[in-house]
Amino acid sequence: MEATSSVPTKRNAFNAWLSKQWMPYRQVSLLGWLLGSLVAVLLETFIGTSLAWALGMSDVPALFGFVVMLKQPELLPSIILYLLLIYFIPIAIVVRLTKSIANKIAGLLFRYPLWITALFHIVLLYAVIDVWAVMNDYRVLLAKLMMIAIITTLSLNVVNGYMGEFSCSHPGFLAVGAYTASIIMVLFFVNDKVMGPALLPPALGPFFFPIVLILGGVVAAFSALIVAIPSFHTRGDYLAIISLAFMFIIKSLIENLQVFGGARGFMGQPNLASLPVVFVWTIIAIWTINNFVRSTLGKAMNAVRDDETAADAMTVNTRNTKMTAFLFAAFWAGIAGGLFAHVMRYVNPGSFGIKKLAEVLAMVYFGGLNSVVGSIVGAIGFNFLSEMLRPLEILKWVIIPVLLILVMIFRPTGLIAFKDFDPEELLRPKNQTEEEV
Amino acid sequence: MSRKHFILLTVVLVLAIAALAACSGGGAKVIKVGINAPLTGSIPKVGEGTKYSAQMWLADINKAGGLQVGNKKYKVELVIEDNESKADSAVKANTKMITQDNVLVIIGPQSSKQAVPAGEVANNYKTPMISPWSTNPKTTLNRPWVFRGCFLDPFQGPVIANFVTNQFGFTKAAVLYDIASDYPKGLAEYFKKAWEKLHGAGSVVAYESFTHGDTDFSAQLTAINKSGAQFLFTPQYYSEVALIVKQAHQLGWNKPIVGSDSWGSAELIKLCGSDCYGDYFSTHYAAAGAKGATKAFIDRYNAKYGYVPDDVAALTWDSLNIAKTAIQNCGKLTGKIATDRKCVRDAMANIKNFDGITGKMTFNESGDPSKCAVIVKISDKGEFKFFKQVCPTK
Repeated sequence: MEATSSVPTKRNAFNAWLSKQWMPYRQVSLLGWLLGSLVAVLLETFIGTSLAWALGMSDVPALFGFVVMLKQPELLPSIILYLLLIYFIPIAIVVRLTKSIANKIAGLLFRYPLWITALFHIVLLYAVIDVWAVMNDYRVLLAKLMMIAIITTLSLNVVNGYMGEFSCSHPGFLAVGAYTASIIMVLFFVNDKVMGPALLPPALGPFFFPIVLILGGVVAAFSALIVAIPSFHTRGDYLAIISLAFMFIIKSLIENLQVFGGARGFMGQPNLASLPVVFVWTIIAIWTINNFVRSTLGKAMNAVRDDETAADAMTVNTRNTKMTAFLFAAFWAGIAGGLFAHVMRYVNPGSFGIKKLAEVLAMVYFGGLNSVVGSIVGAIGFNFLSEMLRPLEILKWVIIPVLLILVMIFRPTGLIAFKDFDPEELLRPKNQTEEEV
Repeated sequence: MSRKHFILLTVVLVLAIAALAACSGGGAKVIKVGINAPLTGSIPKVGEGTKYSAQMWLADINKAGGLQVGNKKYKVELVIEDNESKADSAVKANTKMITQDNVLVIIGPQSSKQAVPAGEVANNYKTPMISPWSTNPKTTLNRPWVFRGCFLDPFQGPVIANFVTNQFGFTKAAVLYDIASDYPKGLAEYFKKAWEKLHGAGSVVAYESFTHGDTDFSAQLTAINKSGAQFLFTPQYYSEVALIVKQAHQLGWNKPIVGSDSWGSAELIKLCGSDCYGDYFSTHYAAAGAKGATKAFIDRYNAKYGYVPDDVAALTWDSLNIAKTAIQNCGKLTGKIATDRKCVRDAMANIKNFDGITGKMTFNESGDPSKCAVIVKISDKGEFKFFKQVCPTK
């Protein structure tokens, strides 16, 4: 407890009361929380719309009321009541009621290999997201874009956070992935006016989509070589400049490639990036990147970041480490780009400019360097904030930078930085204390 | 709290929610019109004009006590979303307005780079959308639900080429355009094609480009100066036009400079000053010397917001009134959003000779209006004076 003064003040009493109320929830496993959320979203599916009408809202608040809050502040009490009735209270109740059984199931699952437990949780998580999103296509689109933002942020964090370099070429890798995947898909599986009839039956598209995405990632990784080779012996500012130049080269290149639409953009991508597809890719990305940064190679990256000479002296192959990390990050950025192109079903070089760079960097530094959880929080938080503040128009571009500055002052490395993400710890049943008592 | 109490509380809560849900009467019946505008980003003046026009339009309807459809009066609400001048934000904004706010019609986005992907969304969700200002053919191509309020680039290019040929009798043209933006690039190509058709291959003696964000054009302008061109055509946005014209004059260029509808912003004269006086551009309407409804609109806008509205504002005004006419022609709103959207779309496609402030409009089967272009001369006072009207030949 953080009791700062010995005299019990009203505030301390409240804090004590709060922590006492919170006590039972400390023993709730992730499984319990997921079950609670599932009940809440199911509740919303069945009575959300009529409840929203009864409370004077025109529809279910799409993003927990974030979007309407600033447009119609008079609805604020209704929104809070709605959130309490649909989300907070049902989750609190279900979580408490199912606490022991959820812990038992989690304990049972824990005896099996980790991947089975993880799979079980992931399926449940997907169920929650799916039920929540299908209420409204705006939610589906946002969920997809948020997941793509997570992949992008994570991949940039590998270079900027774990390896401690300042790379600015990520929009370029996104663009390479996006265009590669789009062009292959349209060329092979779509009867397009520009690219001609499909070379393979369009029905095969969904099966080849993952392969094409990976191909996009591989091409992005190869293009990363262009940055990596000349910047071998440079660090810090020099790498930033070289990578920035790379971003502009890619953008200009696409603008001048008339075959692919130039500045007018390229469209006609098949509608294959559905919510489950993007979700699976996001999970794979989190899993792989988390394993990568926790591996020996990940530790080597940290060593290079902290002191390259010392790392070299301690037999770390710094050149190899830097190269691998950079190409790995570019690969995932390419995948994210391919998914982005197929969600928007339109790409133009203008989407991959300096604005995108600012956005991705903001997500990384807002969430936290050197942290997988931080990147996830950063991507989701930034997207939420950006959607929420949109009605403020120009003020939005004052508030978001100010928030970023505040984060940089009070938490210079981001909200959740330098934290290891351990799935085993996350999925563990939380009833040990209960059994001990 | 014992377990018994806890369960009791749960039951009470569930009942309360059920009761609340049961007594709901459904939402109030209003017509929602979505506005997808670039309020922030690189062209905020365009977004501002869109917003102001829409607010004036709404004020008119509110003054009349609502929108009369059949024998019922409906309250009208505007849902204004900022697309930040970005393609993905425009798609997000459209999806939100269609699926969350349940708008009946969408007006916007203005620039083609947002209108092309946003039009795809509107078409997929079967929601009528009018882009007032997007001149890229792809915006409406094969999209029965998407319309536009202006003429297209393939029409504007020849208009300018013909105008210069007839007016000055020139045979050698120079073009300076931004290769990284789709609008200037497209228009430069259409112009080049039309000019070479009139004067033969090689008659465009200088075809120079720069990249978005450049502010120094001296290299290109020097080349143009040396090329022996008789005039310069530059289809750029107002902020770049001011720089190009000023730098051209500094380098000793004293021949005419001709532009396109992207010049027609209230900001142009503020930035460019006397350097732009005497130049010509093609656009959708001319503010100075306007008559009738057009003058009434300009005067009202000027009185309310303190400057003469540019073509975006006028085209938005027309698009909103097309939407209004379509809703009224629909006759009856069922309250089922999908049915009503279909009804409005069909009514919109059937509008004949709509009398707008930017000219008469009839949509063809691809949702594009056939309407006249106006050649404007920038007067010695910096006003956009009507010079000539060019109509499509049928």
